[in-house]
Amino acid sequence: MIRVKNVIKRYDDHTALDHVNLQVDKGVILGLLGPNGAGKTTLVSILNGLTAYQEGEIEVFGLSLMQNRNEIRRRSSFIPQSLALYDKLSVYENLRFFAGIQRIDSNDVKRNLEYAISVNRLGPVLEKTASTLSGGLKQRLNIAIGLLNDPELLYFDEPTAGIDPELRNDILQTIKSFKKEGKTIVYTSHYMEEIEKICDQVAIINHGRIVREGSLTTLLQEEKSDAAVLELLHAGKTRLAAIAGKIEDVDIVDGSTLLLHKADARRLSTLLVHLESETITVRKIRFGATNLESLFLRLTSNHRADV
Amino acid sequence: MFKAMLIKEVILVLRDRHALAALFIMPSIFILIMSLALKDTFSNERALLNYAVIDRDNTEQSELLQKYLQTSPVLLRHEITETASQFQDLGVGDNLQFILIIPAGFAQQLSAVKEDARLLRLEVSSDVKQEVLTIFRAKLSTDILRLRLGRMKEELAPFVPDIASRLSGIEFTGDGLIDVHFTGMEANQKPTSTQQSVPSWIVFGMFFVIIPMSTIFINERRQNTLTRMSAMNITIPALFAGKIIPYLIINHLQVWLMIGVGVFLVPLLGGDALTLGHSVTGLIMVSLGLSLAAIGTSVLIAVLAETVEQATTIGGLVNILLGAIGGIMVPKFYMPKAMQDFANISPMSWGLEGFLDIFLRGLGPAAVLKETLALAACGCFLLLLAGVLLSHKMRRGV
Repeated sequence: MIRVKNVIKRYDDHTALDHVNLQVDKGVILGLLGPNGAGKTTLVSILNGLTAYQEGEIEVFGLSLMQNRNEIRRRSSFIPQSLALYDKLSVYENLRFFAGIQRIDSNDVKRNLEYAISVNRLGPVLEKTASTLSGGLKQRLNIAIGLLNDPELLYFDEPTAGIDPELRNDILQTIKSFKKEGKTIVYTSHYMEEIEKICDQVAIINHGRIVREGSLTTLLQEEKSDAAVLELLHAGKTRLAAIAGKIEDVDIVDGSTLLLHKADARRLSTLLVHLESETITVRKIRFGATNLESLFLRLTSNHRADV
Repeated sequence: MFKAMLIKEVILVLRDRHALAALFIMPSIFILIMSLALKDTFSNERALLNYAVIDRDNTEQSELLQKYLQTSPVLLRHEITETASQFQDLGVGDNLQFILIIPAGFAQQLSAVKEDARLLRLEVSSDVKQEVLTIFRAKLSTDILRLRLGRMKEELAPFVPDIASRLSGIEFTGDGLIDVHFTGMEANQKPTSTQQSVPSWIVFGMFFVIIPMSTIFINERRQNTLTRMSAMNITIPALFAGKIIPYLIINHLQVWLMIGVGVFLVPLLGGDALTLGHSVTGLIMVSLGLSLAAIGTSVLIAVLAETVEQATTIGGLVNILLGAIGGIMVPKFYMPKAMQDFANISPMSWGLEGFLDIFLRGLGPAAVLKETLALAACGCFLLLLAGVLLSHKMRRGV
């Protein structure tokens, strides 16, 4: 469905994507994980033909993106993180507008509208102005707009950001249901548990490079979950680097977070003593980080893009 | 696609009360206020010159001179006492510009043909402009000639019995001697403040599309709606076309609403009614050109600005500057020559000239073609520039 080969994207002197390779098969939900600034949005933007790239090849639906951008866009859909809709239009007016500007066969418009409305359970609020909807309903409308062209491929850019856990779960179930209809999904998120819940395949991106890619099952089997995450106060990268140098298998996640692999009682107490001697306060210790979180932190620690 | 864009844009404008006020109510109020406020400026019934007379001759001739002066609608006589023969003797608040002193012996001297004869004395306020003085002197000279002609007829009557009937054709009959015709107007029509105000405030009001357009456009950019539309294969030219069509319609609604205000509402409040020119085609041509220029300016500002506040502030300032330069706030004929030339840099001035050609000068499509093309070219250039800048911004993800 998607084949990305050696793609390079540069902004002036900054390399946003560095020889990115990725393959997504039909009917798969791919979770694209990475810290802020790692290159997730750039990659999704390129795949949607919104941003140009300097080198490499991209094929979607077996078509070259460079030469078939319009055809690829017609068959896919991008659901941005921000609520890309009109606050002053009603739910139905929003849907009619976004359906009207796309080249959708007139016979399909009604069917697609009904599908988008029913999947997202927007029926009872069709006449309501978008600005009066709750955050969850707005996100549902945002998703519904993305379904109007009945896409084969959907890109979700952190669709649950800022939504309460109950509604988040509801939206995740909706997205998961698209897989049953044979749609392919690229899903970016910061939430590991979301990725674990709905994705079949994961790609972890950091500093513009795909640092790990594969099926979620395989990746989780490879990763041992014996790590502890220590959230600190009054730390700082220099002081943490000094401590990490003294203890084996300690990674600096960021200026206030350490990841301790093989976190048995002896190693943990040693680390706490070192932190105490440096007058660094431990705010929280989390054991049993999910396997994916552990893998993510290990792969993106020390030189995370957003540190 | 354009139908969906048109419906969306119109609904959004209709639901924005501030935009509706700026587009339709504000220019209508301007038209009402300015038409009524400037009504007297354009009226020939209005007294322009204020004078008083001290008659020390007290003859039939001196009284006749005063009668002639009073027949002019532009002269307003004030009564003063005999002693107030100098302006410093008058109280503050008198608007007197001239005190005409008819000296004793005026009637006798009327028929005396002496080159250095001074028949009258005129006290002139020091703030009177030279052109005003010239008008008053010309009026006095004409009336003296009229008196002299009358005297001549009386003196020649014993020798030429039918002189009265022979000279009747050259009697002074005031304004009736000259048939005044304002270009492009019917014989009995004359320019009014409404004819001047309506075109000015139509032009100004049309440029206020910046407010709804920038508000909608910047929100579309900030909420990633434009990105979403781009991902739906909506190109920048298509996006701009989706803006141009609704605002062309909105601008035309403004034009006809404001014409309606000039034709129907202003007279209800005591002003002069707007009379339409002879060319609806010319009117539509200028409106289209002006609308394109206004939309081009609005889109460019909406692309350049980062926030709605920036766009409305910059847009408001640009409108006021273009209006001040272009003869909207102050009519160009009040400006010195250099400023009149400078006014031509403002597209509002081109649009205003076009509308004045239609409303005031009664001209047709050929006369407004140049202004229409200039406005359309300006609008297209600004849209092109906005398109290049937007494309650059979107590529960089700004």
